[in-house]
Amino acid sequence: MGLLTDPSVGHSALTSIFVRHHNRFCLLMYAISVVLFCMLAHYSLSSQTYFSENALLPGLVKGQLNDNTGSSYRDHFRELNAEAQHYETETPHAYLISKFKNLRLETYSHNFTLNYPLKKNTKYTGRNVYGILRAPRSASIESIVLSVPYRAPSSVFPSTLPGLAVLFQIAQFFRQQIYWAKDIIFLVTEHEQLGMQAWLEAYHGTSCGSPGVLNSGKLSGRAGAIQAAINLEIHSDKIDHIDIKLSGLNGQLPNLDLVNLAHRLCNKESVRHTFNNVDGGAIGRSKLNSYYTNLSTMMSMVMTQATGVPDGNHGLFHRFGIEAITLEGYEKEGRGIYSSVFQVGRVIEGMFRSLNNLLERFHQSFFFYLLPSTDRYVSIGLYMPCLVLLVGSLFLKAFSTWIKHSSEHKSGGSSAKATIHEHSNVGMVSVIILGSHVVGLMLLPNLAPAYFTHFWNHIPTHRALLLGYGSVSITMVFFLPIIMKKCLNSFKSSNWVLLHVICLLELGIGLLCVSMHNFSLGYLTALVYVLPAVCTKSSHNNLIVKLLWLLVHPVCSLFWITAYITYTAYPELPIVDFLTKVLEASGQWMVLSTVDNMIYGNWAFSVGVLLLLPVWTSFWCLMFLPTNVSQKLKTK
Amino acid sequence: MEKLLFFVYSIGILIRIYLSFSDFSTSIADRVEVSTPLNSWKRVIEGVSLYNENINPYDGDLFHETPLALVFFSHLTSTLSDFYVSLVFIACDLITAFVLYYTSKIYTENLLKQQTKTKHVYNKKSKLLIPDDFSVINPFYVCSVYMLNPYTVFSCIARTTTVFNNLFLALCLYSMVKRHRLLGCLSLVLASLPTFYTFGLLAPLMISCASNDSKNKTGSFIITFLTCGTISCSLLYLCYTIMNEWTFLDSVYGFILNVRDLKPNIGLFWYFFTEMFEHFRALFVCAFQLNASVLYVIPLSIRLRHDPLLLATSLLSLTAVFKSYPSIGDVGFYLSLLPIHRHLFYFMQQAFIVSCFFVGCTVFAPTVWHLWIYSRSANANFYFGVTLAFATTQIFLITDLLFAYIKREFALKHGMKRMINGKKARLMLD
Repeated sequence: MGLLTDPSVGHSALTSIFVRHHNRFCLLMYAISVVLFCMLAHYSLSSQTYFSENALLPGLVKGQLNDNTGSSYRDHFRELNAEAQHYETETPHAYLISKFKNLRLETYSHNFTLNYPLKKNTKYTGRNVYGILRAPRSASIESIVLSVPYRAPSSVFPSTLPGLAVLFQIAQFFRQQIYWAKDIIFLVTEHEQLGMQAWLEAYHGTSCGSPGVLNSGKLSGRAGAIQAAINLEIHSDKIDHIDIKLSGLNGQLPNLDLVNLAHRLCNKESVRHTFNNVDGGAIGRSKLNSYYTNLSTMMSMVMTQATGVPDGNHGLFHRFGIEAITLEGYEKEGRGIYSSVFQVGRVIEGMFRSLNNLLERFHQSFFFYLLPSTDRYVSIGLYMPCLVLLVGSLFLKAFSTWIKHSSEHKSGGSSAKATIHEHSNVGMVSVIILGSHVVGLMLLPNLAPAYFTHFWNHIPTHRALLLGYGSVSITMVFFLPIIMKKCLNSFKSSNWVLLHVICLLELGIGLLCVSMHNFSLGYLTALVYVLPAVCTKSSHNNLIVKLLWLLVHPVCSLFWITAYITYTAYPELPIVDFLTKVLEASGQWMVLSTVDNMIYGNWAFSVGVLLLLPVWTSFWCLMFLPTNVSQKLKTK
Repeated sequence: MEKLLFFVYSIGILIRIYLSFSDFSTSIADRVEVSTPLNSWKRVIEGVSLYNENINPYDGDLFHETPLALVFFSHLTSTLSDFYVSLVFIACDLITAFVLYYTSKIYTENLLKQQTKTKHVYNKKSKLLIPDDFSVINPFYVCSVYMLNPYTVFSCIARTTTVFNNLFLALCLYSMVKRHRLLGCLSLVLASLPTFYTFGLLAPLMISCASNDSKNKTGSFIITFLTCGTISCSLLYLCYTIMNEWTFLDSVYGFILNVRDLKPNIGLFWYFFTEMFEHFRALFVCAFQLNASVLYVIPLSIRLRHDPLLLATSLLSLTAVFKSYPSIGDVGFYLSLLPIHRHLFYFMQQAFIVSCFFVGCTVFAPTVWHLWIYSRSANANFYFGVTLAFATTQIFLITDLLFAYIKREFALKHGMKRMINGKKARLMLD
């Protein structure tokens, strides 16, 4: 066993090379990781998508949805439109219920209440309507959901009424078919994701967010366990293309088979289908051009996933182990070829009939993937090495720092003296680590924002949060160095290797865990934080490193991101307006993430506060800890 | 040092009390890494209530403690309220830490005595000699590792019966260094009755009891063996008188040996036995169980016959890795024994990597479990990967420790610098 060499000879040649040149290796690994990540979009590293689950049998389905029996799509849409115009801001519940009843569905409605967490005694109520088509061929064990978010005419989002009319048409058609083996739930939700979340919580009898925030109520009717769900957002009856959306809450993705199914059936019905609004296939593009397109598609997926916010109502299903996607149909503007709602309807019919064939729940194919195009995917085995390289550089840094330290220890001084040194260090190091984590815990989104809004109750919520988090950060940035310098003089130790190593390891392990849940978030965070972490030394850091750390403070990072987004949105704003806009936007982001955390259980903010902030604080302490001067002279 | 010790104790107690009465305790108790079918408190409660209803708890596949434990827990839960039961567990952990503290103290003092006796044989390298302050610092480390290690803390909060088991094991180790035969045998049998595997500790116990009288070693071996045998037979008979039938044997030992419950845990059995073809089961059960129980006892006893406590540590850690239902309580126990052997740390090479992997696996296991069970996006292979890494890490640790012992022995006699024909030589473990 070559690994178990004895210490008297020293370390093996490989180890000593690593230890001596660890900084270069770390930077090299960083560079390789970035290059590899960009290469992922290339044709040779991604593979053609395929169906893993044979039971889906999408090829056998022939769309039969038509306008021949019952009311036509036009009737449904006209009726619905007239009803919607009546209620400028509300949902016509009575109409929806009677409509579902007319379609001979088992119809129920579901009430929910939101106690807005950042303001006392503020309540919002909502009501979802859903109808169940009982499967004639089984005993309500399994079900599939087709949902449409209802948007009143006053909504800022584009209308979904055409989608709702399609839902009626489909329900009417499905009602006449005899082949259903799974119940089908037609669901119309209110208040965008809130209604969906409330309905899902009520369906499964759980609560995902903070207790007492979303009162999801009770359901009076249920179907079987939900196998899959399709969320429909069709903005017009002349459809330019269908965009298939997947990113779910906390970056969870649906099974790739479901995504493939949607693309395949769109292809079959010759509906133009896109992913992140980019067409698939490389027809008519040069090689370089198609690489750039793929890269930008993949990057936009990474960005969407990294926020952890679902890009459609489908994203809330994933947490319950239900595969779901959103089909968003964009309006065709101007003249030219467009797809009719019937084509889209037949796509949905095909999907439901395929899902109806499923014998087990989705378990084949991939749950972890990146999509550079509609028909290509990058599997976990290929993208994980990028992150492993980044995290690996952290581990390498920690390892070589430790080895260097321990070999110095062994060569100089008796072991008894060394133990005393270590001993005094351990206490202080654990105080710093513990302290930084306690601060992180106190800033958790379900604790701190309530205090901040209570304390600054006369100003808007987003300013209060910004003020709160900002002041805590500024205090830490300025006071920690002073405390370190003034109070810890008695703790002079040759170096603070232990603290350094623990910080590196915590960052590395934390990033790995985050990326297991949400690769994009983990990778982007790693890209930002690994570089300063690798550049930091155990003692005597120069000003540049300190400045680098200051730039990547979690709150600062938030500023940079919002500044970039604001700049792309309003490039010609004067500087003062620009800065105020950025500040306001950051505050609003804080409010949104806090609320998301408390209602949906989104943990992006918690990661920032529980992992990044403590690590940052510990590194900041490390840079200002007093070090022994004599040791410094000796090394010089 | 006393102040520090007191400080560590009070922190350990405070953490345990706080967590025991917070909401975390149930979620910790439900973790598969902490509670196994053999040690979970939930099952104990079920078994006790069945017993109190005059239903034989061994009829079902639920309760796997011994009848002795059944009676004990039945009394415990009927006389004390839930609050005090938690305190009993915390108190047990405290006593274990105390016992380990004294074990370590006596062991290190013995080691120092031995060192002064045999100093003349050693090479003139003062660096390798154990400094006197080890007898003060080592026990402190042992105690603080036991009190503050998250593994033992979680195990205590989840009220696993491993807590009692650890107490008996600590007593057994204590009597080893004290060379107290009767206490040793009794605690060994009490520790091994419900868990079976720790019977391997009989070897270090025999060796340490025999080192008292240098003349008649074989006789001493036989006496220890017979004492243990008698105690375990009489305790088993006592169990029989409690239940009036022998079915408990199958429920306790049959369950351990046949690995009937394949619920995931940190061990290696569950995955292998779910994946394996059923007709190979008998073969693999035998192979795995031999590996877990007796395979290492004899070779290690021969090699480490001069250091029974190291032998005990390595046997305990090997069973903690290879047994059929391991929990982190077992891992925590042998980890807290490591500081006793601090004079070997100088020769250990993998400490950094091993500790990284320990932390990594501990954090990774719940993550992957969440992905597998709740998000349904990962699968059993992910979790098994982590447990496999965890087992490998532990084996690395044990090998490193044992090799460090051998290297130290060698270096004591031949000095640190080894030259063969003017070149540096290196020791290899092949």
